[in-house]
Parts: sequence; C-alpha cells; structure tokens
Amino acid sequence: MASRRRMLLKVIILGDSGVGKTSLMNQYVNKKFSNQYKATIGADFLTKEVQIDDRLFTLQIWDTAGQERFQSLGVAFYRGADCCVLVYDVNVMKSFDNLNNWREEFLLQASPSDPENFPFIVLGNKIDIDGGNSRVVSEKKAKAWCASKGNIPYFETSAKEGLNVEAAFQCIAMNALKNEPEEDIYLPDTIDVAGGGRQLQRSSGCEC
Amino acid sequence: MDSDDSVTDPNPHHPDPSLDAEPATVEQMGSLTLGEAGDAAGAERPVGNGFLPADFYAAAGEIEVVEEGSPVSGDLAGPSSLGGPGACRERSGRGDALPSPSSSGYAGERGSSGGSSEIEEADDRETMLDDWSRGKRHPDEDDGSVSWRKRKKHFFILSNSGKPIYSRYGDEHKLAGFSATLQAIISFVENSGDRLKFIRAGKHQVVFLVKVPIYLVCISCTEEPYEALKRQLELIYGQMLLILTKSVNRCFEKNPKYDMTPLLRGTDAVFSSLIHAFSWFVFSNPKPKALVIWNPATFLNAYTCLPLSYSTRQAASAILQDVADSGVLFALLMCKNKVVSLVGTQKASLHPDDMLLLSNFIMSSESFRTSESFSPICLPRYNPMVFLYAYVHFLDVDTYLTLLTTSSDSFYHLKDCRIRIETVLVKSNVLSEVQRSMLDGGLRVEDLPLESSLRSRSLTTPELSSSQSGIGGPSGLWHFMYRSIYLDQYVSSEFSSPISSSSQQKRLFRAYQRLYASMHDNGTGPHKTQFRRDEDFVLLCWITQDFELYAAFDPLSDKALAIKTCNRVCQWVRDLENEIFLFGASPFSW
Repeated sequence: MASRRRMLLKVIILGDSGVGKTSLMNQYVNKKFSNQYKATIGADFLTKEVQIDDRLFTLQIWDTAGQERFQSLGVAFYRGADCCVLVYDVNVMKSFDNLNNWREEFLLQASPSDPENFPFIVLGNKIDIDGGNSRVVSEKKAKAWCASKGNIPYFETSAKEGLNVEAAFQCIAMNALKNEPEEDIYLPDTIDVAGGGRQLQRSSGCEC
Repeated sequence: MDSDDSVTDPNPHHPDPSLDAEPATVEQMGSLTLGEAGDAAGAERPVGNGFLPADFYAAAGEIEVVEEGSPVSGDLAGPSSLGGPGACRERSGRGDALPSPSSSGYAGERGSSGGSSEIEEADDRETMLDDWSRGKRHPDEDDGSVSWRKRKKHFFILSNSGKPIYSRYGDEHKLAGFSATLQAIISFVENSGDRLKFIRAGKHQVVFLVKVPIYLVCISCTEEPYEALKRQLELIYGQMLLILTKSVNRCFEKNPKYDMTPLLRGTDAVFSSLIHAFSWFVFSNPKPKALVIWNPATFLNAYTCLPLSYSTRQAASAILQDVADSGVLFALLMCKNKVVSLVGTQKASLHPDDMLLLSNFIMSSESFRTSESFSPICLPRYNPMVFLYAYVHFLDVDTYLTLLTTSSDSFYHLKDCRIRIETVLVKSNVLSEVQRSMLDGGLRVEDLPLESSLRSRSLTTPELSSSQSGIGGPSGLWHFMYRSIYLDQYVSSEFSSPISSSSQQKRLFRAYQRLYASMHDNGTGPHKTQFRRDEDFVLLCWITQDFELYAAFDPLSDKALAIKTCNRVCQWVRDLENEIFLFGASPFSW
C-alpha cells in the first residue's frame, strides 16, 4: 500500500454546447478525436489516473451537457467537486461571454465552502480551426477575464490536435492538490452512561 | 430522464415476479384455527421461565387442520408490473443459464443456484477462503471487465458527491466513473423530491438506499426480493457505522469533497464476510466438506443461542453479571455467531442487528484472534453517534468474550475482568460444555419427538430418533426455523440429509427469504399462515403474536401432516426453551 493515499478528484467540465468538452475529455482520456458532433445527454463519466511527482491521482471527470435543458441537473452534479473546468470556443464570442454565467451558476449550485478560492480552470478550445483565422476571442481578452476572477489558470487548447490538453489536465490536478484540506483526526463522541445513557459527553466531533 | 415508472416506485412493494412463474401451489390457510387460543389469553402461564407469554403456550396447542385450499390471490398471484419478460423461474443454474437481455450491457448470469457458468461460485470456490481473509476479491477488475460485469451481486457505497467509498469487487478508484453514474441517477431523482427505490433491468435489480450523505447500491441478478436486498444494504450501512459512527456525516457537512475511503482502510474483510452471511457458502479445501455460513439473522431480526444446559448458561451469566456490575455496559460471550450469554447493566438489551454486526466484525478481523484487543466500535442501534470501547478476547478458537464500556481508559480493568471470567468459565466447565455443544450441533429434525406426549426433555439425551436417517425428520420435515418475537431470538435446525448439498441449502435460503418477504409484505400483510408447494419444497410458515415458524418439507409431503408436524415442532421448542434460548437478557422495545 502506498505510503501516501491516492486521491480522488471530482472534476466538472462546463461550457456552452458544441465548444468541445467531450472532445477534450476524449483526447485526454482516450487519445482520440472525432470530427463528428454528438451531443452529450445529461453527463458522461470518465476516469483517468495521473501521477504528479510521486503521487497518484484518480480524476473522476464529469463531462456535462451544454444545452440549457440540462441545467436542472446542476445541484446533483456539482456537489463535492474538487475542480471546475470552464470551456469556450475561441471562434464563438457567445461561448466566451457565457463563461461568467457558467462560473456563477456553478458557485451558486455547488456552494463550495470558500467560493473565492475554488479552483477553476479556463480552456479556450478549437484554436486549430482555419489556422486561427476565424478566432474572435483574443488570448489577451481571455487572460484579462481570468485575471479578474482571481487569477484562474488559462490554457489554449485544440482537442483535435491534442494541443495543451495534457498540460491543462495536469494543472487541474495540481490545483486541486493545493486545495487539499489538512487531514485531521477522526474523533467521534463517546457516551456518558451516568448522565442518562444516550447523551453525548463531549462534542468535539470529527475534526475534518 | 423522465420519471419512468420503472425508476421511481410510489408503491412500496412489488411482487417478486419469480413467484408468479413458479409452479407453486400457494394456499391460504385462512381458517386454520388455533385450538384454545382464545380461551387461553389471560390464563395462567405454565411453569418454566414464565417468560413466554400465555399466548405462546396456547398457540402451541394443536392446530386444527381445515382443508380449504382456496387458491390464492393477491400479492402472490397478481401480475407483476415490472417483471415483464424478466419474470422467470427461481430455479436455474442447472446448466440453463441464458445471457441476460441487457439494455445496460451489464450481462450477468441468471439465477441463484450452483450452475457451472457462474463466475463467483465456479471460479472462486477454491480460493474463496484465502481471498476472503485477505480482504478484497478481484481488486484489478473495473466496470470494463467482462468478469466484473458477470458478478451476480455487487454492493457499492459512495458519497453523495459520487466519490466511491466501497465496492465489493474491483478497485474503488477505477470505478470512479461508475460511481459517478450512480450518484447522478440517485441525485437526479432526489432533487425532484422523490426517492429511487429500485430499477429492474432484465434479470438485474438495482436497489438503492439513501442515507444522506451516504448512498448504498446493490446490483443483483440473484432474484432475491427487493425487501431482502434493501435489508442487506441496511446491514452494510450498519456495519459501516459500527466501524465509524454516524459522525462521518459531519465530515461531509464541513467538506462535501470529503474522501472517506481512507477511514475504511483494512476493513474489506469485514464487509466481505457480512455479504457472505447474506447467502454465501464457503468451501474448504479439499472439497467434500461444505461450510455453510448463511446466517438467518440477516433477515430474521433475531439472534440465536448456542444450545446449553440451563445450569451451564446460568453459570456463565452469573459471572458476566458480576463484571457488568463493575462498570461494564454489556458483557457478551459468543461462540461463532451464537450467543452463550449476554448481560447488560442497563435496561436496554443489545439489538439483534448490533449483535450480528459486532460478531461479524470480530470474527472477520484476524487481529482479534491473535491477541486481546481494545477497539472503539459503535453499536448503530444503541447509539449511532458515539463510540463505545470493546475489549475482545478469544477464549478458544471459536469462543470469544466481548466487554463493552464507555471509557477509553479501562483496558486494564477489563483485562482483569476477563481473567476473572475466564478462570470461572474454565473451573465451572462452561468452556468445555460450549465446545461440546459446538461439536454436537443444534436441533436435528430427526430427533423431533413422534408424539407430543412423549417429550424429549433434554438436548443432551436425544431420544426417539425416528431412525429414518437419510430422509429427514418425521412427515418429511427437512428443516425449520423458529423465532421467538419476545426474546428476539431464533433457533434453527441443522440441515438434514435431503438438504445436505450446498445448492439445495441455497435454494432453501432463498425460499425462506421470499417466504419471509411475502409474509411481512406491508401492502397485503402481515399474514398469519402460508402453505406453498413447489418442486423443491413444501414450505409452511406460521406467524402468531409470539413466534414465527418457518418449516421446509419434502415436496411430496401431505399438507395435514405438515401442519401437525409444525405443531409438534412448536411443542418441542417449548420443551427445550431453557436450553436453546437465553432468558433474562431483558427485552426492550426498540
């Protein structure tokens, strides 16, 4: 058994429909790309193991559907996420504009304990299209937005070419790692029989 | 996702489709009358321990047989709304295993008995014992493995954020995606204010138990009733609480991302052995002898005692009571899963589930056997929020003493108690009596007295053997289980020769399970009596205020004779009550 425990990270991928969330995940997990568009229904789940330094991580990747009709799934899906990946298409302005909505919706629904410092990561996808000539969101603009939201790490990717995909996911694991809570002692209560049998003696609780 | 009726089930019960298709004769003995039952209420109790209520004695009088044979209706014969083509006969595994019609791609094997194509039974038999003691089986599998998909019964524990906590088969981390899927399904239904009970997919049943923030899931193609599988999930949850208490919930309140897996590290064997007790059979190497470990306590809500003479059990109880008065919450002497004696300082008695989970925890953890141990444990039915401390010591290979206390620094005190107890138990021959009883085994149907007037007075001097060895007891009685409702205890007979094979025993277990579920069905029950005949058994169940009797007979047995025999079994049990039940462990209504 490993001396340090393996960590499981729950990663949620969000973004407008058609920006390439599923393709990014497929490229990352299966090293495959298909030009054919297939809308995700609800969510897809994939697992990938990564090693950083000498630590082993399991990424549990939640590839969600971008269509609005699936938004109601939010609370159920976002709970307990370790990291949230926001994806937009550099060739579609609307998908960039919507990043803010996605981020806020996530924070609202997942209600993490420290929303200011919740690890997000932003991916500008499809930089390969038309040799970059059709792009409408500049890197500068994207980076400025990321900086304004608490320095969210930013990557420009191409799921098709496999550009930066590995590096982006590596960063996701690193970020989640930084957020790892300190391990505390698990200490449930003991019982006080003299004081009536089933009442708590002290309520130190579990200190996690 | 729509709220498809096969997903959310407003009706708490669905008839087990396998019942419909069975070539069973189910008859309601609606007018079976219990002689004197009415008159005896309030009558003086016969001598004895005076513990069993008057009705018990009255009910144990003769049953008057009324041949009515009205074909049955209602729950047992009604068409299943969910079974569809999946409704199949219980009997299977006789080489007729068919591929599962799977929409899920989850292609498990059908049926419940020992066909050679069943992965679990066929392949694992040899190594089961080894694997079992090591903990997790087949850790390399995941949901992509063909072998994993063919497993007949999966159990999962996960958090409500979809992080895996425990899986019976396969590596939890590799199953992260599968676990996420389960969470998505459960949470989706939960968010709409509804509750997911089970899903049927071909022969597979997926049963859910939500204990926020913990989710438990069973995927099974064993054709066990929903209630039985749900109860198994409840027990698994209880086992988890026994190890950790419900304080884990607070970890999730503070941090929904919380990963619980490390807290359960090293407890795989505890869960495996509990799951085995739900029905499994371990075969020791080399073959011939089959060690059956099915434990009726997993569905009967009762515990069982090791048969002992009244004075022997009294001697054990006296010394336990002695230490209990010195600040021990509960003192419990057990032999495997059978109770020798149990004493508590408080009014509360131990709940049978707590005893089952505690003895499973102790017997499956190798380290308890090698030294005296002091361990925090939680009794979920006593108080799920807190730890108690258990001092555990094995007095011989099967017999162990457990002293439960609330103070974490009383190890040395309890050690002293144990030494005192052990000395007395050895001196007064209790320990040797216990060992002898283990070797002798429990009640044998062959020993059932032929006439109720010629009562067998003692276990230790079996008289009136029917001398028909090889064909079970009188009137084709093969097996019975008797549960005393007031005592929370049951007694079951040893397996007679007609059911000596493990596949036959497993069929019996499943048959009892279904019988229990149908008798206790919330929708149409509870019922008082049931008589059914199928190609394996005649089953008779009789439930009164005071006891439940489950009996299995030769499938060709005569109904009137079977009923008569059940009366004799009740009489027999009553005659032997001082030896097969523990009195004085105060009843407590939970």
